[in-house]
Amino acid sequence: MAPQSMSKPGSPLMEVRDLSVAMRSESGVRPILNTIDLTVMPRSVLGIIGESGSGKTVLSRALVNWIKPPLAITSGSVRYGGRDLLALPEEEMAALRGREIAYIGANPTSALDPTVPVGHQILEKLRAVAPQLSRQDARKRIIDTLDAVRIPSPAKRFDEYPFQFSGGMMQRALIVDALVSNPKLLIADNITQPLDVTVAAQILRLLRDLQKDFDTAVVFISSALGIVSEIADDMIVLDRGHIVERQPVNALLEKPEHGYTRELIAKVPKIWTGAAEPPAPSAQNVVLDVRDVEKTYEVRDRNAIFAHRKVQAVRGVSFTVRRGENFGIIGESGCGKSTLSRLLSCLEAPNRGQILFEDRDIATLRGKDLLALRRRFQLLLQDPYNAIAAHSSIGRTIAEPLLIHGLVPRREIRKRVSAVMSEVGLSPSLYDQLPVGLSAGQRQRVNIARALVLEPELLILDETLSALDQVEQAKLLDLFETLQARRGITYVYISHDLAMVRRVCARIAVMYLGRVVELSDNETLFASSSHPYTRALLSAVPTVEEKPYKTETYLLEGEPPDPIDIPPGCSFRTRCPFAFDRCAREDPRLTLLSDGSLSACHLEGSGLPAVDIAGLQPVATVAQTRPVAP
Amino acid sequence: MAFAIEFFLRRISQGLVIVLLVAFVIFTLLRIVPGDPIRIILGPMTPASVLEQTAKDLGLRDPILVQFGRFVGQVATGDLGRSFIRGLQGGSAGGSQDAAGYNPESRASVAELIGTALPYSLQLAGLGILFALLVAVPIGMAAGLRAGKWPDRLGLYVSSLFVSLPNIWVAVVLIFLLSAKADLLPAIGYRGFSYTIIPAMVVAIELSPVMIRAISVSVAANLGEIYYDVGMVRGLSRWTMIFKHVLRNAAVPLLNLFGAQMIGMLLGGLFVVEYIFSYPGVGMLTINAVFQRDFPIIQAVAILASGALVAINMLVDFTSTTIDRRLKF
Repeated sequence: MAPQSMSKPGSPLMEVRDLSVAMRSESGVRPILNTIDLTVMPRSVLGIIGESGSGKTVLSRALVNWIKPPLAITSGSVRYGGRDLLALPEEEMAALRGREIAYIGANPTSALDPTVPVGHQILEKLRAVAPQLSRQDARKRIIDTLDAVRIPSPAKRFDEYPFQFSGGMMQRALIVDALVSNPKLLIADNITQPLDVTVAAQILRLLRDLQKDFDTAVVFISSALGIVSEIADDMIVLDRGHIVERQPVNALLEKPEHGYTRELIAKVPKIWTGAAEPPAPSAQNVVLDVRDVEKTYEVRDRNAIFAHRKVQAVRGVSFTVRRGENFGIIGESGCGKSTLSRLLSCLEAPNRGQILFEDRDIATLRGKDLLALRRRFQLLLQDPYNAIAAHSSIGRTIAEPLLIHGLVPRREIRKRVSAVMSEVGLSPSLYDQLPVGLSAGQRQRVNIARALVLEPELLILDETLSALDQVEQAKLLDLFETLQARRGITYVYISHDLAMVRRVCARIAVMYLGRVVELSDNETLFASSSHPYTRALLSAVPTVEEKPYKTETYLLEGEPPDPIDIPPGCSFRTRCPFAFDRCAREDPRLTLLSDGSLSACHLEGSGLPAVDIAGLQPVATVAQTRPVAP
Repeated sequence: MAFAIEFFLRRISQGLVIVLLVAFVIFTLLRIVPGDPIRIILGPMTPASVLEQTAKDLGLRDPILVQFGRFVGQVATGDLGRSFIRGLQGGSAGGSQDAAGYNPESRASVAELIGTALPYSLQLAGLGILFALLVAVPIGMAAGLRAGKWPDRLGLYVSSLFVSLPNIWVAVVLIFLLSAKADLLPAIGYRGFSYTIIPAMVVAIELSPVMIRAISVSVAANLGEIYYDVGMVRGLSRWTMIFKHVLRNAAVPLLNLFGAQMIGMLLGGLFVVEYIFSYPGVGMLTINAVFQRDFPIIQAVAILASGALVAINMLVDFTSTTIDRRLKF
């Protein structure tokens, strides 16, 4: 097929006019998108921002004519190269997909066939799209492009399977898959959402560079304003299926016209400028004392006979948490946070080291003592859906721990449960209802109520709020604060969400590859961190304010090393922009610095660039802080 | 490669333990059921003194563990023992032909009996599976690809119909229609390949409903996976996605079903079908051995069957993990 979309510069690549999409169900027709008009110019980046439920994923799919029942397009056109994609016969649409219009979604790990090596699937697509390429040429081109998106040892990775790729790697592979056929238009639907901030920042920079190299127009859809504003030229704000505002990025951030846009900008958490005073460290007695804890898992080695490889998930972690304190543990996925939460909540025993809860080693407890201890600390997890049994009533779910521990006479249970329900903001009238139809936030409240009903002293919150949107998250944080004031509860927040940790935690430990690399109080950590890794994390946070840590100074390349083959010396040196020869020889231990923080770095804070917090602009002119292409 | 070596080393050693346990249980059961094997060997008319002497000579009065040890030693050298009843020509001996003294050499070797019968059974099983696949793959695929539409309902009806037909009844009806009435195919005994066709049809009707359901469910499930939709958005055609990816992914649950369930059904089906059609396979041999209390044949067949199950499951698991590298065995 001859390319029909060769457009003169200046004429739009894609024009969407009057597009409406509705959901048809038994209860009637519910509109999802209403009369959307938008224009994509060649070689530009159009950002679309909207909260969950605004219809942005539906819009992105409508652009590639991928609307399936119960959704249906009710009106409008998507014109591309002089033709309306929505009216195109199936075969002609298929001929455009992958060749001229590429699409990348938010779920990189399930986008490819799990049983076929990644490279082979990209090869299959490239050969389907460009049959004139020989197998060797196509393979070479893919390996070159994998190299271009900085996938290490691309020739080896070509033959590896999707499950051997991390989320970030997989998203890069999908970018390769999309760009290897030189499309004119790339639709990127929330592609950074499942990624860690450092990886998301890398992907953004990469996409920006590639967009220039490949001359591709990009429609970039996201729910995070801080991310879209890093990459887009023009922005469209989507609210409940309507476009409420469109402006160039700088103008939108500086002079938002619509109230909803202003609201969105206000909701982006502030970390340095205008942040509320963080809570102070507690001076009470130590509740939780973690001493040099280690945990190693064994996995079977496929390349040797009867051999196992040791995955070092947690490698000697020590810290103390005082009563009534908010302690934060942050780090990228795979750094050992979740293993640590399993150790802390006594679900698994460490291979080495001790965890003392009020001076008693929890590993030695058995039977009744363990049960009594479990009552006093509770674990809250991320997924509010699978944590609640669908078939038992909400009241029964919350009452369950009381029944297990036999703390309260049966006739008083209802009273106790109702009291806790109103305390966490659930109406006691939900007592006899099933959890069907509860929102994620309400479900998380049920989980919290179930933990609180035992009157615990320590709550371990493992990404508890990560699945919730900003508004719901803020409400629950307020709830935790009130509960703390009323009951003196101690919280351990385990999270990758730096803005949240900034707001609530008094002391923060930063983990990298199973180890604490920095441990200090909130203000010191955010204002003058003494570890390059922490600074890299902070430089990658998506915000709309100016950051004291410049992305171009600290942005990390690549991903953490495999926890099976941890390099000798400092485990961060492979990605550290400040590494020197001592780092390769000697593993730095946590040392106490003059500002009271603990840091595992040979530089001890002194070799790092100075940080100027006072000189930051309150509202950033984001365009100037955009990373410079290398 | 290292993975394959480790896999087979581990699974063969585990399999040997399983087969050994099965053999021990069967061996013991056959020796504690009422009835002295020596009476079966020598016949009811033999004098008691001869019985006792022969039993001692044959080692039948030793403790069971000793007997089992001896048996395992023999099996290891490929000797599955000798039939109690059947003579060298394969026919059953009766009465008291050994009253003067028993000569084990006058009985047929179990290994040879099974060796003669096994090819017939394999032919029947192979043809049965082929027929079942010919029916189940098109119907199951169509049902899976068009879930909720008429092919899906057709698949459901066909499999419900087949699953509710008793194989004995199907056999009799097919013999009546195809052999007695239409005279298209022979039915009883074996004098050529055509004798396998009607029994294989009966086996296929028994196997196909499970296959149809399994194929349609796993194909439909894979069409619901994200990678299928994304594949088409990436620029691959629907048929590429179905033939290269959906079928590949759907094969894993099918293989496991085959190893776990269908082989058992097949073995059970063969026994019944071979008996109905007087088909000279292992099933017939075993059923006759049961009627005649010919324990060496029964135990040899049981051990072989468990060995076959273990081996097939090992191959199924290896194929599954080769198709889907996420699986760990």
